[in-house]
Amino acid sequence: MCPAAEGACVFDRHQDLRTIRRCKRGEEAAFAEILDRYRGPIYNLCYRMSRSPEDARDLAQEVFIKVFRLLDRYDEEYAFSSWLFRIATNHCIDHLRRNRMRFLSLDGVTGPDGEEFELQIPDEGPEPDTVLERKEAVQRLEEVIADLPPHYRAITLLRHQQQLSYDEIAEVLQLPLGTVKARIHRARAQIQQMLAARSYDI
Amino acid sequence: MDAHDRRKDRGTEALTCPDCRLELQDYLDGTLEKKRSLAVFLHLRDCEICHREQEALSRVFASLDALPAREAPAGFDAVVLAAVPFAAYRAMEPLRRARVPVYLERSFLPGWLRARVTRVSGTVVAVGAVGAWLAGFGPPWLPGVAAAGAVPELLVRLQGLGRRLVGAQKVGV
Repeated sequence: MCPAAEGACVFDRHQDLRTIRRCKRGEEAAFAEILDRYRGPIYNLCYRMSRSPEDARDLAQEVFIKVFRLLDRYDEEYAFSSWLFRIATNHCIDHLRRNRMRFLSLDGVTGPDGEEFELQIPDEGPEPDTVLERKEAVQRLEEVIADLPPHYRAITLLRHQQQLSYDEIAEVLQLPLGTVKARIHRARAQIQQMLAARSYDI
Repeated sequence: MDAHDRRKDRGTEALTCPDCRLELQDYLDGTLEKKRSLAVFLHLRDCEICHREQEALSRVFASLDALPAREAPAGFDAVVLAAVPFAAYRAMEPLRRARVPVYLERSFLPGWLRARVTRVSGTVVAVGAVGAWLAGFGPPWLPGVAAAGAVPELLVRLQGLGRRLVGAQKVGV
């Protein structure tokens, strides 16, 4: 049953369970199905957490490899998506901790890695002003998200990028619902303050 | 208990600006209780400053929701699949305990329906309704109430029976 108390459940829990059981029988196609279903969400979570395409690729691949090797430890009482997102979130936070110096904000003007940051916005030639403005707005927002503490960053992404409900996030992070709401509220308030402090218009 | 819980039963009393700011995120999330949501709505209608604050916050919400998705690089799956121990899974399959179909899993039914309090109270209602009906009291829809009351217990028991049957078949094989 979908744990969401509001809105529609993003991931089909029962479909996942059926596929996971096929994975446990060693069916290669089932692993490919899971990858197909979750590649995007997990890669995007890793990308927004690390802000580096290369790190995001490595992190997401490590997450899937870890998950596929630990399938027997998955407790079917909970949604597979929650378990997967929990592993991915913890893996990203661990990665950020290991590389703390690299990811410390410098002055809020550039990303954690100047070169990689430039690569995220490829030069695609002349474009209409509105498209450029939109790209700049996304860039500014990504910059601000990257400067959030890792726990706030993760919870913001689970809520706004993965569109998980508060209940689902509580299941993913194994936190009380009140704590989840408080953290999301603080994270958003912090984003708003950082945008204002840097005079960023989005 | 968070700020939201402390304030949730204050109803539609007129809001102050600081109170309204505290409720704004829940208001935009759509998680505020109805009366409270109305109070915020009314305050926003009358207060230009809070209205501007709401618009700014809405823009942040919308921008966060609209962050563009990135495509995983080509060859992503191949690296993962190369590391999956397919053979080990296939070798372990006969050793793994017999599984039952998804719809026979306890988690298939919602927690509130499986809760003892729901099942017991449903059964009490069902028994009471049947008793009253047999005794000739009450309106003609009493059997319907009895059937509805019995549903949670019945579903849980049917699941249990199904699990036992599936288990018995597997042992027989």
